[in-house]
Amino acid sequence: MITLPVVLAFAAVLFGIGLYGVLGQTNAVMVIMGVELMLGAAMLNVVGFLRFAHQDSTSGAFFVLILLTLMALEAAIGFGLVISTFRNRRTAEVDDLTDLSG
Amino acid sequence: MSDLATALVFWPVGALMLVTALYVFVTSSMARAGLLLLAALALEGLLFLALASEFLGVLMLLMMSAEMVIMVFFMVMFMPDPGGLMGMDMVHDKRRSAGAAVVVGLLLAVVAVLTDWPAQMLPPDAPDVRAIGFEVMGRSMFSFLFAGMAILFTIVGGIMVAKQGGRYGVGAPAGEAREG
Amino acid sequence: MSDLTPFAILALAAVGAVAVASLETLVAGFRPAPLGATRQALAGLRQPISHPTTYDGWLFHLAPGLLLLAALAALAMVPWAPGFRGIDLETGAILFPAALAYVTPAVFMAGWGGGSPLPVIGGFRFIALMLGYAMPIAMVATAVAAPAGSLRPSDIVDIQATVPMALAQPFSLALWLPAVMAVALLAPFDVATAPHELGGGAFERYTGLEAALVALARRVLLLAVAGMTAAFFLSGWHGPLLPDWLWMAVKTAAVAALMLYAGRRLPRLETDRLLTLAWKVAVPGAIAAIVLAGAETLLFYS
Repeated sequence: MITLPVVLAFAAVLFGIGLYGVLGQTNAVMVIMGVELMLGAAMLNVVGFLRFAHQDSTSGAFFVLILLTLMALEAAIGFGLVISTFRNRRTAEVDDLTDLSG
Repeated sequence: MSDLATALVFWPVGALMLVTALYVFVTSSMARAGLLLLAALALEGLLFLALASEFLGVLMLLMMSAEMVIMVFFMVMFMPDPGGLMGMDMVHDKRRSAGAAVVVGLLLAVVAVLTDWPAQMLPPDAPDVRAIGFEVMGRSMFSFLFAGMAILFTIVGGIMVAKQGGRYGVGAPAGEAREG
Repeated sequence: MSDLTPFAILALAAVGAVAVASLETLVAGFRPAPLGATRQALAGLRQPISHPTTYDGWLFHLAPGLLLLAALAALAMVPWAPGFRGIDLETGAILFPAALAYVTPAVFMAGWGGGSPLPVIGGFRFIALMLGYAMPIAMVATAVAAPAGSLRPSDIVDIQATVPMALAQPFSLALWLPAVMAVALLAPFDVATAPHELGGGAFERYTGLEAALVALARRVLLLAVAGMTAAFFLSGWHGPLLPDWLWMAVKTAAVAALMLYAGRRLPRLETDRLLTLAWKVAVPGAIAAIVLAGAETLLFYS
């Protein structure tokens, strides 16, 4: 049977997969995809709490709406930055963007 | 949905969601990676529907299709091997990042399972669309307004960041090749 | 909604696809022969499923299924009669654009899976097109749902008992029709999948069962889109003399005939003109349509 810990565990594993993408992938677009997965895991958490703990909470639903909006916004700005980086340096790999590292 | 129906939907869809999410980073074809991410997030939308959040599930399904197709677009533009035929390894620090991911995931899962949540399996009394609408337009109007302004700034800012020549509109020099 | 509703929708899809194919031949100027067309289509199934030499297997073979799934999901949202409202979800007016939005990945998968450059270009053209046209569909659905105060399609039909939305919000209808024709792969917006465009478009590489599935899905899409236009804008099943389902059938057929006829008469728009129309006209216009719908709701509907 589905209980709150089950939903939260699924969201935790999804968060871990997203974290693997963010930390491990070399291309900036793949990093953005990892962040999308992490935000998706957060949304699954909130929906789980909505279903099991606060059934009539409209502000929880609104929070998921805001998270959904943020997913899209972050991807949009991220892609704009990737375009700009690619235009100036001909590469979108995060390993080559080391100007600021000591 | 009844408990049994929810369980019957949740376990396979949830497992498939995790598998497709993992394959996003395993596959070497860029089109497949983007579409696998679409599959993972669309399955998450189905999970929302199974958890009695109808409006949020439908919104998730609606937005993810367009977003992920855009992502495929960008990946084919900017990745060195979009077809995936050369089998390049695009991972750095594979063991450390995988280790960190496993540790964090396990930690969160353990916290989730071991905590004594004050939550019960009540029948879903989820807010319907009208209630969410009244909430958005009433009590949360301030946050909604800020979200709207954030969208506007992102539209304008994203285009300015991506534009050739940046803010001041200076075009590419005459002799430069038309790249990007 | 009873337990038999999904089967009824599948039966409606099968029969409706034949009806739409007959309508296409009729609009083209020939006498429609539904039995002959069905027999010919079934004979085409005997063709073996072949694929290009270098192709992306998973994407190529999954695309027709996804297209059919999207078309059936869209068809399930249409309310046909008070006794048969489809899967009358509370958020049906948002699930309809969501189902239509999955046509874009399906066309892209068909194009990319085709392996050679020309279908890939067709797939990317469709993405570029639908990025602009997906938003007006959802926004106009919201504008039409505002007077009804509900996202349930049958509520939107019932609010039009006196005045159809085509008269109350003509601007919304003008934005809805091109967007919905673009997503249903209809001319004059079909630069990505038309048989006379670059190499045959995104679906050109399919044979046998998969080509039949694509053809079926396209006709089901047209049926769903025409039905929803009749439900959202032409008062659905409300009308003086005829029974409910007959009014709905007449209105759907009229809308479908109008779309097919416009496809035959108007020249195919080029990509840049399509994108200009989408981003400079349709999206701001849809926002204005929502504002107008809100004002109208406050003045007339409450």
